[in-house]
Amino acid sequence: MSASPETYESPLRVLVADDEPPIRLLCQVNLAVAGMEVLQAADGEEALRLARSEKPDLVLLDLMMPNVGGWTVAQELAADERTRDIPIVFLTARATTGDRRRAEKLGALGYVLKPFDPVRLAPLVAGVVARCSRGEAEDLRRERPPELWPADLDE
Amino acid sequence: MLRSSTALGWAAAFLAPALISSLDALSNRPSYQLAGFLYLLAVSLAAYLGGFAAGLVATVLATLGLDYFFTPPRHDFVPASTDQAAGVALFFVVAILISQLFGRRRQVQRQAEAASARANRLQAVTARLAEAVTPQQVLDAIVTEGVEAAEARAGAIGLVTADGQMIEIVAQRGYERNLFVGWESFPLASDTPMGKAIRDESPFFFSTSAERDAAFSTMSTLGGPSHALAILPLVVEGRAIGAIAFTFPTEIEFDAERRALKATLAQQAAQAIDRVRLYEAERALRQRMTFLADASELLGSSLDYEATLAQLARLAVPEMATWCSVDMVGPDRSIQRLAVAHEDPERAAWAERLGEEYPPDPDQPMGVPNVIRTMTAEFVPEITDELLVEAAQGDERLLEIVRELGLRSAITVPLIARGRALGALSLIRDDSAPRYTELDLDLASELARRAASAVDNAGLYREAERRGDASRALAHVDDGVVLLDEEGAVVSINPAAARILAVDEATVVGETAVGSIGGWSEIEDNARPERGGTRGPVTLPLVLSNGNERWISVSGVDFGDGAVYALRDVTEERLLERTRSDFVATASHELRTPLAAVLGAVKTLRREDVSFDPDQREMLMDMIDREAERLSGIVGQILLTGQLDAGRLRLEHERFDPVALTKSVVDSAELHLPTGIELRVQAEKDVPAVAGDENQLRQVISNLVDNAIKYSPQGGDVELRLNRNGQFARIEVADSGLGIPRDEHDRIFEKFYRLDPALTRGVNGTGLGLYISKELVERMNGRISVDSEPGRGSTFVVEVPLAI
Repeated sequence: MSASPETYESPLRVLVADDEPPIRLLCQVNLAVAGMEVLQAADGEEALRLARSEKPDLVLLDLMMPNVGGWTVAQELAADERTRDIPIVFLTARATTGDRRRAEKLGALGYVLKPFDPVRLAPLVAGVVARCSRGEAEDLRRERPPELWPADLDE
Repeated sequence: MLRSSTALGWAAAFLAPALISSLDALSNRPSYQLAGFLYLLAVSLAAYLGGFAAGLVATVLATLGLDYFFTPPRHDFVPASTDQAAGVALFFVVAILISQLFGRRRQVQRQAEAASARANRLQAVTARLAEAVTPQQVLDAIVTEGVEAAEARAGAIGLVTADGQMIEIVAQRGYERNLFVGWESFPLASDTPMGKAIRDESPFFFSTSAERDAAFSTMSTLGGPSHALAILPLVVEGRAIGAIAFTFPTEIEFDAERRALKATLAQQAAQAIDRVRLYEAERALRQRMTFLADASELLGSSLDYEATLAQLARLAVPEMATWCSVDMVGPDRSIQRLAVAHEDPERAAWAERLGEEYPPDPDQPMGVPNVIRTMTAEFVPEITDELLVEAAQGDERLLEIVRELGLRSAITVPLIARGRALGALSLIRDDSAPRYTELDLDLASELARRAASAVDNAGLYREAERRGDASRALAHVDDGVVLLDEEGAVVSINPAAARILAVDEATVVGETAVGSIGGWSEIEDNARPERGGTRGPVTLPLVLSNGNERWISVSGVDFGDGAVYALRDVTEERLLERTRSDFVATASHELRTPLAAVLGAVKTLRREDVSFDPDQREMLMDMIDREAERLSGIVGQILLTGQLDAGRLRLEHERFDPVALTKSVVDSAELHLPTGIELRVQAEKDVPAVAGDENQLRQVISNLVDNAIKYSPQGGDVELRLNRNGQFARIEVADSGLGIPRDEHDRIFEKFYRLDPALTRGVNGTGLGLYISKELVERMNGRISVDSEPGRGSTFVVEVPLAI
């Protein structure tokens, strides 16, 4: 494994919350090669715990998870002062406009639909974190770039 | 008769003593005694016939005759002796007494006869009054007979008008033609004998016209020869209703007897007038009631209200009105003359043409347009010329026409039904008929009320008939149709609507929809159209009267007088639609997840910027393998469902060992068993072979085992038990996982059905596995069921018939 050309002052830490081990593995492999540190959660409960204790730079969040679902995780993170500013990008197989709209309302910065290209995941994450760290989270939400907000939904 | 007897008496008074005196010339002349007796007879005759005065004359003549002719010395007035002088004196006294006696008798008789004559005269008055029929005949009879009875030259009756302000001369006889010109009516308060007599309720008697003129200076201008005058108030129940005046040909001293006679006459007249007024009022009332009854009968007789109203107008003439017209408001708010009636049909036709020539201006400040506009009656007791001028609005020709009609009095009443003016009814009388009174206005108002109600009923009936036709058609329509009136009450509801809304037609018709139909307020809020507009269709979840929740598609059309709602129960469609769209979402999700893994792994492996160590490569390759299998399994389920639905799946009918099959399913499941789950098989000895499709049953058991593992996220035992149950082999798959609520036990076997995500804690699935299992088992003549409770795990039971 070789390091990517991009380097960071300190490695970005990304929390991947998904009950499907293959998805977690794909994220882990592809983000790690970009020099990022990947935290894994198999359900919502674990995701909340890790987000609060580890303060990741970004959360990749699945919706359909046992125990606590992705919606609840997003809501609770937004309601908590300590985690409110952590950018959330959904990574989900639920391809309905209703879900996408709900994600927007919850203040997510992206809604990546499965199947996705894991190779493009690291630059996507890095871009979001960079803009958020420059205080441009709101601009990003307004812009809604297509790579973060896919249009090819089921409905 | 008295008069002629008086003349005879006077004749007797002179002739009888003279005749007796002439007996002196006879050779055998009567004796002094006999002559005296004869003279007494003569005096008696004179007094009897002529009264005391004639008797007295006869007495003087008889005494002189007796003294001169028969008392010795004869032919000398001086009696021969004191005896003879005493005899003559005695005769004189006796004759005087006889005269007095007969005179008084005669006077009594005269009085009796006078009384009888007076009674006869009054009786004649009464008889004439009784014969009189109309009020005018009665008044005329009173004057005629009264003048005769009072031995007057002329007489007149003045009555106080209804408003109590004027005196109207209603009957007169014997006066000069022009006497009352300008005096047909005059104020009660005027300085006139009649005015004062009525005001004071006391009579006036003037012996001469000079006396009268002195008391009432205004009367002196009234020409004509007049002498004595008597004016008496006509008093009924203590109230003067008028006065009767008698003018006499001579100057008369009104003694008590005369005054009493006049008073009696006045009393008779007053009573007669009162009686005729009462009778007239009653007759008018009866006439009104009869008219109203006839009108009501007419109005109820037909639903063709145009013809009915035209007949009604004809019924009103000539009794109620000289002219009667009915005007109706047309659909465009214009006013149309429906009918004009007059006794003479030609006149009616002429008026109709006139009406067409002068159509009513809806903004006209009076008359029919005003009555319709303001919905209040117009009552003109006295049509004045100024009113005609105003009504003609400067049209000289029209003014001339209406002046010629001689219109006297008019009533126009609105035809109002349910707060709307449908038209107006006009009654007009000309100079030949009396003025309208408040009573007539009441009658006209009542008539209008009944007519309007009849017109409205006819309209409603037509509407009902129309709706009746519609409802017969609607009875066969599958869509629900509900008709509401303006107030939101149910006018009709077809059987489909009653079924959809779970109500009984009989209990909701006439009630408000909101009050009587469960869920209607939702319809009201979401589908009620604007006036004259349409709205919908909208699909609403309604909680119906029976408590069920149904999805109803509703659209509403307002037609001014109410609204029609069309309803369709779309609950089934909606559920199917929903499960279908749920399936699309679920299937999409179920396919996307393994696809993401396969695709992601491939893309990762093909990265050229990274080189993976063999372990990582192996992990990714493994992922591709497993997830591709999963993908194929899901696709297989979807395809199998399609085959089952289309009935294209053919099942084998073979004999196999269920225990061996179960064990093989468990063996393959063991290969990728999550941690924390343990699989166990407990099989009874000698479970016989079963008959069916072994591969498909493997699919079923495998599916149940997968579910058991999937829905035990906390881990636990999954136990498979096999035993024989009668003619069936029984295979149980029991877990200690999440469990399923009781009321979902049937539904979980439905296609696409998935439990509430809260119950599955995010466990994924297509919603096809149990549907497929049930279909397969049933096609093998077996059965499948579940016993479960949330939090206590589930036990699925599959029973397959034994092989024979």
